[in-house]
Amino acid sequence: MNRREKEKRKEKSEKEEKKSSRFESWLDGDRDIYDGNMELRPQKEYEPSPYLLRRQENERKKMEERVNDVARNKEYRVFKRAYRVLAVVFCLSFIALLVLAVSWLPPVGQAGNPDNNEVSARYIEEGLQETGSVNIVTGMILTYRAFDTFGETNVLFIATCCVMVMLMLDEAVLKKQETDNDRKYEPKNDAILQGMAFILCPVIFIFGIYVILGGHLGPGGGFSGGAVIGAGLILYVIAFGFKKTQRFFNEAVYKTAKITSLVMYGLIGSYFYITGANGIENHIPLGLPGHILSGGIILPINICVGIEVACTMYAFYALFRRGGL
Amino acid sequence: MAEWIRFIAGSVFLLIGLFIFCVQLFGVFRYKYVLNRMHAAAMGDTLGISFSLVGLMIFSGFNFVTLKFALVILFLWCASPVSSHLIARLEVTTNEKLEEYCKTEKETDK
Repeated sequence: MNRREKEKRKEKSEKEEKKSSRFESWLDGDRDIYDGNMELRPQKEYEPSPYLLRRQENERKKMEERVNDVARNKEYRVFKRAYRVLAVVFCLSFIALLVLAVSWLPPVGQAGNPDNNEVSARYIEEGLQETGSVNIVTGMILTYRAFDTFGETNVLFIATCCVMVMLMLDEAVLKKQETDNDRKYEPKNDAILQGMAFILCPVIFIFGIYVILGGHLGPGGGFSGGAVIGAGLILYVIAFGFKKTQRFFNEAVYKTAKITSLVMYGLIGSYFYITGANGIENHIPLGLPGHILSGGIILPINICVGIEVACTMYAFYALFRRGGL
Repeated sequence: MAEWIRFIAGSVFLLIGLFIFCVQLFGVFRYKYVLNRMHAAAMGDTLGISFSLVGLMIFSGFNFVTLKFALVILFLWCASPVSSHLIARLEVTTNEKLEEYCKTEKETDK
């Protein structure tokens, strides 16, 4: 303990010597830029006088009496009746509008329908040769529409960042919570649940990895497989608690995995967009359709998306339950 | 002929499963207390779903999909009772007036 403090102090004094480290120390939270430079005073709480409180209370009572007096309040009666009539009219007209719209839709499965255009025809005819993926849907969303999927992955990243900004607690607060919290009734160290999780968790993880790796061969892909792995992580946390989970999935691992996968997706994707948009030859081999190592960029992107989604699922659960990973 | 036998056997299993689901739904809305409702709900989650899936297994014939169905049944039989157990345990630990609803160990000791 003492040695650690000394090292910290040493680091601090070294940091203060350098001018460029001022920004770093602010970034790490060691130094508050307002501290010492600005007068900070706690805000006084507003306390209304008892006379004012009584007057407000009386006014509110009078108002409520006047409003809730149905017999004399003509406006209220009219409003109530008109509200019912208008609600029925609105619902009926809305239903009529929807039914009318449905009646204008073309019948299902006809060759002349507008959804049978050259785009889907090309996906079906050329998709296998151009993407190397047996599953056309995966081939479509990860190559033709990889840019769109990249945006979706970014949405997940930004969503977890926002939840972290709002719900993440300081380490000191977390430790205090562990000693006196109101969760003592929550089932902890349940023998039945732990036994079941001991059997099920590895199976769930393996199934999630199978779904991710088989995304271009059949139903599956990064989003669904990542959700399965995230659910397995949540089950593990519920059964064994945060301390045991943090041995293999703590904040450092979370940050590394999430940011690495997103950056990898960005790099692979941008290589693909740039070569594709400029007509340059794409050097990623498509492989033999049906094999695991095929489909060009689809497999690595699926793995990246899977890691991203699994991290997001687990982070949401951990942040909402405990306020930290 | 074999097709017909298979169809009838599969539909019988499916109908039994659906009947158990109906009983489950009735029980969930009929009872008012958590543990009673849980008892009704857990029945459909294990027996009803397994009967329905066995019916689907008979429909699909003996192939790789059948194995997947069997794994789904195994998973549900592992997961559903454990979750019911957790709900029951939470109810027992948090409800202060448990004696009003059911016999507890303290009463039986007397």
